[in-house]
Amino acid sequence: MIGTCLILSSIYDFSVDLVIQELEKRNTDYLRINKENLHNYEIRLNPVTKELHIAGEGINRTIINVKSIWFRQAVFLRNTPGDALSLEEQLSRSQWSAFLRGLMVFEDSYWMNWPASTYAAESKPYQLMIASEVGFKVPDTEIGNSFRDSKILNSRVIVKSLDTVLLREGDDCLFTYTSDVDPSELTNDRISSAPLTVQQYITEKTDIRVTIIGDDIFAVKITSNGAGIEDDWRLTKRELIEYTDIELPIDLIEKCRKYMKKLSLNFGAIDFIESNGNYYFIEINPTGEWGWLSNEVRKIETYIADALSR
Amino acid sequence: MQNHLLIELAKRKPFQQIPEMPEGSEFDHTRGIWMYENKPLVSHSSKFGTQATKKCDMETGEDQKGE
Repeated sequence: MIGTCLILSSIYDFSVDLVIQELEKRNTDYLRINKENLHNYEIRLNPVTKELHIAGEGINRTIINVKSIWFRQAVFLRNTPGDALSLEEQLSRSQWSAFLRGLMVFEDSYWMNWPASTYAAESKPYQLMIASEVGFKVPDTEIGNSFRDSKILNSRVIVKSLDTVLLREGDDCLFTYTSDVDPSELTNDRISSAPLTVQQYITEKTDIRVTIIGDDIFAVKITSNGAGIEDDWRLTKRELIEYTDIELPIDLIEKCRKYMKKLSLNFGAIDFIESNGNYYFIEINPTGEWGWLSNEVRKIETYIADALSR
Repeated sequence: MQNHLLIELAKRKPFQQIPEMPEGSEFDHTRGIWMYENKPLVSHSSKFGTQATKKCDMETGEDQKGE
């Protein structure tokens, strides 16, 4: 199909570099637009004729045929970690985000992923509900700012945020991981100011990351010294972690496909936990990262490039 | 007043506005990729590999979009 692949990303989104090199090999016409540089371009979109003009940074193009859009920018504006923003910065962030969402005028293009689908799939409660609907096992979960009299606290639990917690204080930034806590710590005076997620603790676990691009599925288990990592594996030193390709049970693969279809996603990164032969759905990241999994024999970028080039 | 449990559980590290890029690397706006000594900075054959910076995407990358 003739047309341009638009890539909406950040200049520091290094996985995009890998995909672009693959697009070049396929002679796919593409244009990468980084959020940090938007103000350096002269950009103009006609929403009716669907004509996009962009000039600056050595580029001068009028694009009328968009074959695909890789939407690497999620639709949230968290402003964390954040300094106080100037009026210009506030205006720039909100209006450029709206502009990028406005590229939905290219509704007939192939999207990875359609912004509204990304937005829905980013909601943790929603994604858990759909996961249960398609037949995944989902750990017992409750979300809120009080668990008084809740049965979920009768057994061992983990807590995690409902949305990313990336905060800033002075010269520090704070990031939360999934944490194993004693239920007695979940007192109202410690959680009433913001909701959080409490979930059944699953023992003897192995983390599984499943990256899905259209019909292609890559599954790896994440271990250290050949064994599953009991806590949040991201807290383990990288040099001590192994990513090993695994075959998923066929019924789990079928559920993954059904899940992606239900969420209208062309790309997704699903986290599962395997424990005693059971696979528990943990979450999906509709703009999930995969660069850390890519290697010479697991070139995920080639599949993304293929999808964007069709 | 006690901090929220999620704040107490959070890990602290020095804030960095932008990643530390390898010295001499620059972004080629026409190609849309980072270059180093006239070759792609991020590639399987690069001396930096696919994790070209200290701030790889594993930890918080997928959580920072939209910031």
